[in-house]
Amino acid sequence: MKKFSIFLLATLAFGALKAQDFSKNLASARTAYGSGDLENARFSMQQMLNDLDIMIGKEVMKLLPAKMDALAANTKNDNVTVNTGLTGVVIHRDYGTGDKAVDVEIMSNSPLIASLNAILSIPFIGNSGDGTQKVVKIDGYKSILQKDVNSETNKTGYTLQTPLNSTLVTIKIENTTEADIVRLANTIPLSDIAKMVQ
Amino acid sequence: MNPKTLLVGMVCTLLCLGTQAQGLLSKVKQKAEQAAEKALDKKANQKTGNTGGSSPGTDSGSGSSSSSGSHPTNKGGGGLVTTPPDVKQNLTDAETAFKTNGYGDARYAVQQAMLGVEMEIGNKILKSLPETVSALKKQDEADKVTSTGWGWVGLTIERQYLKDDKELRTTIANNSAWMSAVNVYLANGGYAQQTNGEQNWKQIKVKGYRAIIEYDESSGYKLSVPIGQSSLIIWQGVNFASEQEMIAAANTFDLDGIKKTLGEK
Repeated sequence: MKKFSIFLLATLAFGALKAQDFSKNLASARTAYGSGDLENARFSMQQMLNDLDIMIGKEVMKLLPAKMDALAANTKNDNVTVNTGLTGVVIHRDYGTGDKAVDVEIMSNSPLIASLNAILSIPFIGNSGDGTQKVVKIDGYKSILQKDVNSETNKTGYTLQTPLNSTLVTIKIENTTEADIVRLANTIPLSDIAKMVQ
Repeated sequence: MNPKTLLVGMVCTLLCLGTQAQGLLSKVKQKAEQAAEKALDKKANQKTGNTGGSSPGTDSGSGSSSSSGSHPTNKGGGGLVTTPPDVKQNLTDAETAFKTNGYGDARYAVQQAMLGVEMEIGNKILKSLPETVSALKKQDEADKVTSTGWGWVGLTIERQYLKDDKELRTTIANNSAWMSAVNVYLANGGYAQQTNGEQNWKQIKVKGYRAIIEYDESSGYKLSVPIGQSSLIIWQGVNFASEQEMIAAANTFDLDGIKKTLGEK
């Protein structure tokens, strides 16, 4: 309980800090733009985007379930990384340990989106003949499910990729069944995440 | 005859007949559709007083697709008004959205504001570029500022100079992903110069900045100069007589001024 309170306080303090940063950068952008200093105005706006991305990442993290089946979220591994530009925000959370562990990664502005959407729009490409790839629906969103058999351990793992506009949600489990990964993925509120990251 | 073989033979014959019958049916259907279309066209022409074979802007073919013939083609319009986003308004929108925890909307507004600022930076740089370079005049209609508002491709400014078949294209890219490629050239000793006469690129200096000049028989000279941490200026010269002429053209640009406007150190 004590640990949880500390975590909550730390999260709130971080949120407040980011809100302050945003307001500070907004003020700098306004001042710089007002005085015709375009480059500094632009720099402050880039900082504002960073602040917002981190805040959006933290909000998305709150939407993710605290547990997946019996697997608890490893909150100490929760991570929001911002790379303004190329890949946007990367939000990471994992659940459980060992080969049953679930990895969830949400990446905005993902460079993979275009190719995944192309696969999803052509049904006969989306479903491969050898059964290693198929299209499934998660919370109403078309997704690509990829099967991967580990040649050393002979265990079957799955990767599920769901594009939400320009954001990509990836769920990976090293040792599972198709039914299990689909069921676990359905516990993630994709519609709410899509609204948050749009 | 083996009854099995006879049965297979009969099935095949029936299938063939079925396919032929289907083909015949579809042909009849197609002909009927064509005849109906022709009759309709004739009626429509009589009503509109158009005695010609087809109306302007419509498909005059035999009309295998009946819908393609009825769409008029666009003959012109006002296009889109390209006003850069209002920076101050977007900053206010961002603040309002942020206060109500609408982070997605706040983000969009900041991006729009950034787009507005980048367009202003681009236009300022275009104004600072020379009107003529090596007797080539600037082509006003080719001036272009492109901004994505989200950093990756960043800001791109284009200007073209032209006289007869001689052309100089200038591209200034800020926050460019191309930077890494050029810096690899400049930093990597592996790209050594050759002396066998097939040298098609080399390092030079333009106004004190390290640069790369390239030559290609079909596209001409290309001169790339990284300025500051994340900006790059590229000149592409078509029908320039020599390397010296290309460098002289590049020397007419105020690189320090561009660097300063882009906020580079």
